[in-house]
Amino acid sequence: MLNEIAMSDRNAFAAAAAIYGAAFLFGLITLLMRRPYSRAVMFALLVGAFLIQTLGLNLRGAEIKACPLGNPFEIAQFLAWSLVLLFFIIGPVFRLRLLGFFTAGLASLLAAGSFIVPSWDRAYPPGIFGGNPWIELHAALAIFSYGIFAILSLVSVMFLIQQHGLKKKQFKGVYQYLPSVQQLDLMAKRLLITGVIVLSASLIFGAVFWVNNHDLVPVFKLVATCLIWLGYLTVFVLRIQKKLVTRRHAIACIILFVLAMASLWPIQSAQSAQSAQSARDSEPSTHVER
Amino acid sequence: MSDVLESLFVLGTSHHATPLDVREQFALTPAQALELQLQLHSHDGIRECLVLNTCNRLEIYGLADRIERVDEIRGLFCQKHNVSEVLFKQYAYSHNNLETLQHILEVSTGLDSQMVGETEILGQIKQAYTAARDAKCTGNVLNRLFEKSFQAAKAARTQTGITRGQISIGNVAVDLASRIFGKLTQSRVLLLGSGEVGAKTAQALKSRGVGDITVSSRTFENAHKLAHSLGGAAIDFEDFTEQLEHFDIIICSTAAPGSLLTKEVMKQNMKQRPERPCFLIDLAMPRDVDPAVEEVENVYLYNLDDLSSIANENLAARKAEIENAREILKKYAWNLWLQLRRRELMRKV
Repeated sequence: MLNEIAMSDRNAFAAAAAIYGAAFLFGLITLLMRRPYSRAVMFALLVGAFLIQTLGLNLRGAEIKACPLGNPFEIAQFLAWSLVLLFFIIGPVFRLRLLGFFTAGLASLLAAGSFIVPSWDRAYPPGIFGGNPWIELHAALAIFSYGIFAILSLVSVMFLIQQHGLKKKQFKGVYQYLPSVQQLDLMAKRLLITGVIVLSASLIFGAVFWVNNHDLVPVFKLVATCLIWLGYLTVFVLRIQKKLVTRRHAIACIILFVLAMASLWPIQSAQSAQSAQSARDSEPSTHVER
Repeated sequence: MSDVLESLFVLGTSHHATPLDVREQFALTPAQALELQLQLHSHDGIRECLVLNTCNRLEIYGLADRIERVDEIRGLFCQKHNVSEVLFKQYAYSHNNLETLQHILEVSTGLDSQMVGETEILGQIKQAYTAARDAKCTGNVLNRLFEKSFQAAKAARTQTGITRGQISIGNVAVDLASRIFGKLTQSRVLLLGSGEVGAKTAQALKSRGVGDITVSSRTFENAHKLAHSLGGAAIDFEDFTEQLEHFDIIICSTAAPGSLLTKEVMKQNMKQRPERPCFLIDLAMPRDVDPAVEEVENVYLYNLDDLSSIANENLAARKAEIENAREILKKYAWNLWLQLRRRELMRKV
């Protein structure tokens, strides 16, 4: 049925990116006019973009018959989708002001940025996950945890902005619309705990697969993923022990997210190379055409 | 004919030109201010005098036999309070004759205040005037001058909108507390000192939902009385540093000569509560909190100057009203000047 919808997956992704961008611009313009933006309008724009992006992911998933996480383009789209999904969960519950604006900004950056290099949406052999549902769950959970870490880094940025305003005695502008430093710090702690749990679960599923298929998992991917996990785990432990709090905690979370993002590209490249090699070794296959 | 009022003068320093750290050096306790006033009055060449001593200004109003007495007064003040005369000269201003009148009218109306349009200064001037009059330091001229300044202040306030849109220290403190803690219902407040500004700030926080207010003052009775009016508790002044970790907002408004809260004290305090921020509001003059405390992680320190500059952010919108008030006061000052001259001439005759 999804195939009958007169819209290609890439068009859906492009439309979603445009709406995320519109939501960000709407927030930016109202803030520059020194007015709080309408939460209802921001929420509506994000819902619209999210639904279109969900459609795009469904179309892509139906096409490749797997979770669309096979190339950098799909990973960026899935990450933006996870980020906005998390905003829908935590935004209305904790009512963190301006979170919608920052989410729209990062989502549009990820969704639109993935279009910049056409080769990022390269074709890849079907069955990249080897038809194993556990490894598909591992990949989906890993990217979802990165979505949590993305929103954690946004909350950390908001914390640093608010703290800077308070320390420098700034009263007007964006500072007055941001949530309090205590709320932001508490939210960062909760997101860190959730993110570490989800990433750990993802690694457990991945480890089960890795034990039986050493050859299919590139060493670089294994090392990079474990290092990112260890990094977050260290921050988590130090936070629980109250040794890494507030400003330093926010900075650590932002740095770790940047590193996690930077590691995605080589991880993905190593995985694609490995998959292509495996495919060549086993049998000739038809690549999915874009 | 030489002017009969040519030696009416005001000598002083205020927040306009004097930074907080210099104002601290000139600050007097109420007892010191009273002593200075009596000493000046006992001076042969000074007929009348009044010392106005607030957080933001130290002003000596007087009527002398000749204007050169101002230099003597300056020297006397610096010598008595061990203040560098060069420093005092650098920051002090003096006006005489009609300018003195215009100045006191603007001060009592709140136009010269750090938070333009505030009304607290009028109460402080009334208090200083009552004390000077009771001590017989004022006479015909200063009595007339101050009583007229109260009338002029009232007229300027009612005829213009200078108080409209004015934000109090308490409101600014509440807004800042909300930016630090969000909802204030869980926040605990410690009020150090039983001064009026501190009490008003605590009251503003209470009206925004702060559930727990504790007061500590050198005089336990004062602390207990204020705590009762705020619906809180009082603690011994000697014990407050040991209990600091339990408080999220600390308002300091004591008359202590030195710092009560040093960087080391706050560092130790924050070790006990690393995840919970601490908001310090220093309303004291001289300051109760060492400025280096600002460097401590998760501590937000605001002093009088910081709060006032935030409160004055909407000043531009009130500029026209301020000019209107100034024009009204100019007329008052001129009429008063003519009245005082007539009276002095009559007295001489």
